[in-house]
Amino acid sequence: MNTNSNLYTVIYTTIVVVVVAAVLAFVSQSLKARQDANIKAETLRQMMAAAQIKPAEELYATANADILQLYADNIEEAYTIALDGEKNGSLSVAADNIELIDKLKPQNKAILSEGEATLPVYLFKSGIAVIPIYGAGLWGPVWGYIAFQPDCHTIAGAFFDHESETPGLGAKIKDEAWFREKFIGKTVEWGDSPAFVLAKNAEETGATNAIDAISGATMTSNGLNAALNVWFGAYSKHFGLAAFFGMLAGHQASDAEKTEEE
Amino acid sequence: MKLKETILEPIFKSNPITVLVLGICSSLAVTVTLKGALVMALSVMAVCGISSLILSTLRNTIPGRVRIIVQLVVVAMMVILVDQILKSFEATYPIDKQLSVYISLIITNCIVMGRIEAFALGNKPIPSMLDGLANGAGYGMILIIVAFFRELLGSGTLFGLQVMPAGYVTNNLVILPPFALILLGCIVWVQRSIQKDLQEK
Repeated sequence: MNTNSNLYTVIYTTIVVVVVAAVLAFVSQSLKARQDANIKAETLRQMMAAAQIKPAEELYATANADILQLYADNIEEAYTIALDGEKNGSLSVAADNIELIDKLKPQNKAILSEGEATLPVYLFKSGIAVIPIYGAGLWGPVWGYIAFQPDCHTIAGAFFDHESETPGLGAKIKDEAWFREKFIGKTVEWGDSPAFVLAKNAEETGATNAIDAISGATMTSNGLNAALNVWFGAYSKHFGLAAFFGMLAGHQASDAEKTEEE
Repeated sequence: MKLKETILEPIFKSNPITVLVLGICSSLAVTVTLKGALVMALSVMAVCGISSLILSTLRNTIPGRVRIIVQLVVVAMMVILVDQILKSFEATYPIDKQLSVYISLIITNCIVMGRIEAFALGNKPIPSMLDGLANGAGYGMILIIVAFFRELLGSGTLFGLQVMPAGYVTNNLVILPPFALILLGCIVWVQRSIQKDLQEK
């Protein structure tokens, strides 16, 4: 057979590509559930590291099943809010059926287009509330979790992650503990713009909502700063009100019930 | 060529890293920890061996003009499969995240395409697979030697377990990529003093 004829080449390459595509689609489908479980456990680790449940290294050394249990033991309530700050859903927190909003990209789109968003708020038993942030870094998405003290105003902790920022430069947002620790004790000015500043020499101004950017990683720092402000903006109605009353809506209700019981 | 030579040559006499000087970039990037180096070594062995097997089986049917493209498609498929499998297990998921792009970049590793082009397309499937595995093993062996010294001196640990006595001050130079190049140079030096025929006049 003449393997160099045009017809043979076209048919051959078509068959090879179709077969390879079928194999990859099949494998991707059959492994999806396992991969999702790993992603969920990783999300929970990052949220709990931000909420100061345990240090990040310890959480990363813990098995997936124990992470699910640890979350279930420590979470008070998880719910979603719309852009107007009103609660529009709740997320299950039972250990065998933990619901998370871990696809942040569509939520980010909804915020930017002012569409219908379901933004998660994870309220831990310690009174600390965790919210996600998401945006574009230099090479790919950057995201993270910011934990607030019960006053809904002071940052209790943070954890950042990225898909493909430059190792040694932009990747420091995840790799270097000192970077995320800088956020502890800073405050967010709800309703004000910009709510948070991540820039060169920003700490010198003495502002409580400013942090120095990472040198050599300007694009990543700018992207993270934009992500913080876009998402803080989306939560500002809900948290601004909560900061005014000194507690989140979820806590308020449960406290009222307790008073009635007494 | 005899099977024994097919297997032993790439591991010592014509090692892909120290003699052919292929796959240098990934050997600088993934040798900070032994775990990462081991997973990378096994991944390259799997990709190299199975791609060689598949392409050697197809070698008489592949149209000459699109030969490289067919090779690329098969190697890319293997790399994606390895990446997907690493992501699916709890034990390998964090290592896959740590190795990040370097798993996907196995496709650009010259060893894989080089062995397919030089060996698999001209030999029977079984010897081709062994050649692929042996080249992956030769690459992996160097990776593990380099990672052993980098993790021991740079973090004071082996496979994440503390082995250096308490109070050992970790050496930051060892963590940085240039030190891998220095170590590679030392390995090449040792090999060339043992194997005199490799020395240039």
